[in-house]
Amino acid sequence: MRLLLAEDEVELSNALVAILEHSNYEVDTAFDGEEALKKCLSKSYDGIILDIMMPKKDGIEVLQGLRNQKITTPILMLSAKAEVSDRIHGLDMGADDYLTKPFAMGELLARVRAMKRRNEEFTAEKQVCGNVTLARSQFEMTSEIASFRLSKQEFLLMELFMSNPGCSIPVSQIMERVWKEEEEPDQELVWVYVSYLQKKLQAMEASIVINGNQDLGYQMEVFV
Amino acid sequence: MSMEKECNVKHTEYSDSFYGEYEPFLHNAGAFIIQKIEELLIKKQVQNIHKPIEHYKMRVKSEESMKEKLARKELPITVSAALQQIHDAVGVRIVCPFVDDVYEVVKMLKEQPEISIINEKDYIRVPKENGYRSYHLIIKVSATYLDEQKDIFMEIQLRTIAMDCWASLEHQLKYKHNIKHQELLVKELKRCADEMASTDLNLQTIRDLIEDSN
Repeated sequence: MRLLLAEDEVELSNALVAILEHSNYEVDTAFDGEEALKKCLSKSYDGIILDIMMPKKDGIEVLQGLRNQKITTPILMLSAKAEVSDRIHGLDMGADDYLTKPFAMGELLARVRAMKRRNEEFTAEKQVCGNVTLARSQFEMTSEIASFRLSKQEFLLMELFMSNPGCSIPVSQIMERVWKEEEEPDQELVWVYVSYLQKKLQAMEASIVINGNQDLGYQMEVFV
Repeated sequence: MSMEKECNVKHTEYSDSFYGEYEPFLHNAGAFIIQKIEELLIKKQVQNIHKPIEHYKMRVKSEESMKEKLARKELPITVSAALQQIHDAVGVRIVCPFVDDVYEVVKMLKEQPEISIINEKDYIRVPKENGYRSYHLIIKVSATYLDEQKDIFMEIQLRTIAMDCWASLEHQLKYKHNIKHQELLVKELKRCADEMASTDLNLQTIRDLIEDSN
């Protein structure tokens, strides 16, 4: 599971990274809001920990920027005690949870685990990108002219792309998310399944396209 | 193959038939298309490229179903209406292994100077509401019999093996009455169509990947 930690206090950030990595999370860091937004828009994360008080852009602005771009990654906000109105605002803007500083490490880890569960369980029934709709209960991908029933792996892969439009997703992360139940899966599976989806998107005249390769990872782009 | 019997021109008294003197022209029009298909297959064989056609069938619509169709469309029960206003007195169905093959055969047919395309419908690109997928061509050819020529309309349906399999089941459902849980079965059939279409494209993708790596 890959996390982004956006926290401007370097010492706190270092401590959190050490503990999260110790708990087997992969962690990227950002030290201001602009950097956080840039990273989230170009890379796919399974969860984002966002401090509210940050230079350049605050956490709320980053959150808004992400939700505006239809990036649905779960977000845990960190806030100081005095920032109650910010917390309410943050939750209303689409944050999933918050934690008040100072906090116990055990609680942070528990909330990160909860965030991960939420990502798996409480996703919207339908996801829409461009002219493509992905229906969760049916594993069905539809455009205005045709619909296809996807296999489980195709669905999980498409869902990952649609949750992270414009983000480059490395093959290792795709393997972890889509083929997590398989023992020693072949990495080339990603190439084959991306090819399946590309063929179907083309057949349904989708306004989205998946680009990339095994070395650089893959990303979904929406035509404007 | 069973259709060989179907394509043979019947040397019987045609005046007895509903189509009257037109009957041999109908069979010959079908035979002409089949000859074109066979030529394509031979060309592919010589080039040692995979066969774009799995099998094909030709039929002349039976008197009974033609009369039923004329009545349903509120047309006069005459040969003239059957051959001018209904365009599938002669029908050819071409079943292909892969989706791309369908389009290749369509292209080949369109390139024939003797064939005029009257209408075409791509239900593979835009499937029918119930999930039906096929490529339909209405064409006109000039058929010859005993030195005489007549223009004959015919319908050519092209589809993959999976689409063909689906269509034959759907056909059964359409003509059966009082089926239990009909609504559920119609929905399931649609789901199957979307699944098969998905698998058809996966097979096409795998074939492309294999060919690209050569």
